[in-house]
Amino acid sequence: MSLLSVEEVSVRFGGVMALQDVDLTADPGRVTGLIGPNGAGKTTLFNVITGLQEPTSGRVLIDGDDVSGRKAHQRARLGLARTFQRLEVFGSLTARENVLVAAEIRRRWSKDGSNPKEVTEAILERVGITAAANERVDAMPTGLARLVELARALAANPRLLLLDEPGSGLDTQETEAFGDLLLELAQEGLAILLVEHDVELVMRVCELIHVLDFGKKIAEGPPSEIKADPRVQAAYLGADEEAAPDEEVVSS
Amino acid sequence: MTEFLAFTVTGVVTGAVYAVAASGLVVTYTTSGIFNFAHGAMGMLLAFLYWQLRVHLHWPAPFALIAVLFILAPLFGAIVERVLMRNVRGSDTGVALMVTLGLLLFLVGLALWRFPQTEPRALPEFFAGHSVRIFSVNVSWHELIEIASAGLVAIFLRLLLFRTRIGIAMRAVVDDRDLTALNGGRPSRVSALSWALGTMLAALAGILLAPKLGLSVLNLTFLVISAYAAAIVGQLKSLPLTFAGALALGLGEAYAVGYLPTSGFLSHIKPTLPMLFLFAVLLFLPQVRLRVGRVVGTRSARVPAWREVGVVGVAFVVLAWIVASSLGSIDLASMGEGLALGIIMLSLVLLAGYGGQTSLCQMTFVGIGAVVAAKISHGSSPIGLVAAAGAAAVVGAVISLPALRLTGLYLALSTLAFAVLADNLFFLQVFGGGGGLAIHRLSLLGISFDGEVAYTVFLAAVFVLMGAFVLAIRRGPFGRLLSAMKDSPAACATLGLDLTRTKVGVFALSAGMAGVGGALFGGLHGSISSNDFVYVQSLVLLLMVTIGGIMTVSGAFLGGMLLGPGFVVLARFIHVDGLTFMGAGLGAMTIARSPNGIVGQISGAVDRFRRRPAAPDEGITDVEVTEEVERIVAPVG
Repeated sequence: MSLLSVEEVSVRFGGVMALQDVDLTADPGRVTGLIGPNGAGKTTLFNVITGLQEPTSGRVLIDGDDVSGRKAHQRARLGLARTFQRLEVFGSLTARENVLVAAEIRRRWSKDGSNPKEVTEAILERVGITAAANERVDAMPTGLARLVELARALAANPRLLLLDEPGSGLDTQETEAFGDLLLELAQEGLAILLVEHDVELVMRVCELIHVLDFGKKIAEGPPSEIKADPRVQAAYLGADEEAAPDEEVVSS
Repeated sequence: MTEFLAFTVTGVVTGAVYAVAASGLVVTYTTSGIFNFAHGAMGMLLAFLYWQLRVHLHWPAPFALIAVLFILAPLFGAIVERVLMRNVRGSDTGVALMVTLGLLLFLVGLALWRFPQTEPRALPEFFAGHSVRIFSVNVSWHELIEIASAGLVAIFLRLLLFRTRIGIAMRAVVDDRDLTALNGGRPSRVSALSWALGTMLAALAGILLAPKLGLSVLNLTFLVISAYAAAIVGQLKSLPLTFAGALALGLGEAYAVGYLPTSGFLSHIKPTLPMLFLFAVLLFLPQVRLRVGRVVGTRSARVPAWREVGVVGVAFVVLAWIVASSLGSIDLASMGEGLALGIIMLSLVLLAGYGGQTSLCQMTFVGIGAVVAAKISHGSSPIGLVAAAGAAAVVGAVISLPALRLTGLYLALSTLAFAVLADNLFFLQVFGGGGGLAIHRLSLLGISFDGEVAYTVFLAAVFVLMGAFVLAIRRGPFGRLLSAMKDSPAACATLGLDLTRTKVGVFALSAGMAGVGGALFGGLHGSISSNDFVYVQSLVLLLMVTIGGIMTVSGAFLGGMLLGPGFVVLARFIHVDGLTFMGAGLGAMTIARSPNGIVGQISGAVDRFRRRPAAPDEGITDVEVTEEVERIVAPVG
């Protein structure tokens, strides 16, 4: 039984199928990748999993229990935390306060007796943003703000972490360190679901990769298989380069 | 059977007028994205103008109608759009809310000034005296005209929106404003047109309704609630559903008049039906999705350090004592009024300033607090104060619950509806017709604050304590949580925060504070009456604290002082009815330029003047340090 299973989820926006019968699982102790061209439905799937978007059909299970009817905050309390592709930071607070609020929210519902201030300092240190901790987040560069979102999500002490393009805005060195952090977190038993365009990063940290294209899952497998998969290549080439219409036909 | 038929006709007629008003509301809201709280007020003013032409100047009805409906109304709507609403678009909904509420109050003030309510005015029905018999029921020509108007409006809107170029452009703007502009559409022209059209419909509804409802400024103004109640059935989007909602509402009212008992509690239900209808519909609306994808950061005022709060607080009370001792009884009374209003406004600093939510019924909570305190040992016991807070908090929690699942606009509207409901149902019951309720001043631990100076100083002390309480919340975990929730509700939810519970909590807390303010406010006056809590007073209160600066304690003080002594002094120079409304309205209409009010302007100017370096960092909670509370004292001296 997986920590998270998504079963045949479909989402329709008017006449467009944003997602169509998508299945996916995420397990503790590893980073699961979710890739696909822009508009493939990755963020929509994240919204469905976290309860911000109601699916047209299909189920979301956590520890085997159907949570489809539960609200976002109830799912969070089962151990889900996420970051957002388009930032959802608390702009009028500092980085430290962003993390502190999350720790305080967690203590409120978990009543685990943790000390939010200690938790906050430890996480700031771990994510490597202590130096910028007193800056207001709405004035930060995107890459840094994304790290604040990651730190904030970690403050909820989740079992499953959903990261929506956390690497965009980071330079090579920062990406390297970020990858190390993800692997470390996974080693500690966290389940991570990663949406990312930086193929190198994805190939490095993910054990299993799901590929979405136009709302459908077109492939699933370890990095080596995915790299070699002609459908995946076609989807990426077809979407990125207008000059490959033939391959698009092949892929469908 | 005849009876039933007669009520049905009345219901259809009322529903028809509601449909006209509601469709105007929907047209402006969907095309410009701004919910026009002043919709009813605009209709009200134009109905008065029609009266002016038709009755006062004896114009023939067709000329007067053409002048009002086809010249004045569209012009008025377009000017409002061009002058006021253009600046508002794109800023957050809070600003749009304040500006349209400001317009509402300004128009109410203007009408009270130009058309004093002491002079009786009546608008004749169209073709008065003529009627036809339909199935043994007499239907007047006026009523037929009302039904026909709704029909024509429906056909006209349908043709306009689906058959004309400009109508299609209007629908395109609703879908995507920017895209329409890219494709050569002209959203600004479309928006001006929709305001012109909406205002025409408001005017038509006002003119049709005035003969029956009477030319009452406040009654015609809250036509916006009935219209809104109908429009909400179509979720402020669908015109056919809006018409259906209007019909249901009209019929409901007619049957209520016909079949509910004519005496006792239930007899008062009728004028409150639109509000009850509204609450019922709200309960059935689906919960809105949380919006994601924007970074919000509000320029918040800085929070003073504790030491400063203590020093300034003591200085404030001492200064209040000195000032109070030197004032004559009239000025002293208005100073007390200002302090009491400041205390009440602190509840809005917490709710709207920190929490980002709107209450348009804060004076209702004040009234509930005052009534409860008066009923318990006539207001002199501290238990009464606690009960006042408790009662107001419970009522606040209950009425905010249905709307809090939805967006800020729904909360604003349902609190406005609640204020009108309480006017008609609760306060009318408590006070009877125009009567007052005596309320004594608090005595604490054997100390009585009966003397005027003593009570004024007592109010100053309470203001300082409540201000400190609000600041304590601000700098603590709950204040942080409120900031976070204001910036991104979606992120809070995904961290495990129950948004509804938190919002209800802060709403109840704010209502409780207003209840305490009510008990003290009542004690100041010695007696309270339903006039003190009439729904527009809540709007005045919210707008004045916004003008003062809704993010700060000093803003509440300034707002209270402007509303209390400020207008008293102003009235000595300008003898105009409705001055307070016009002043508050005018001030609020400029809020788009300075969302943090006068205090924000002052502290901005002081910062620029000093060019001081960044505030010293004193750890997590003390990052923002300033002397803002010091400025509290200045206006008193």
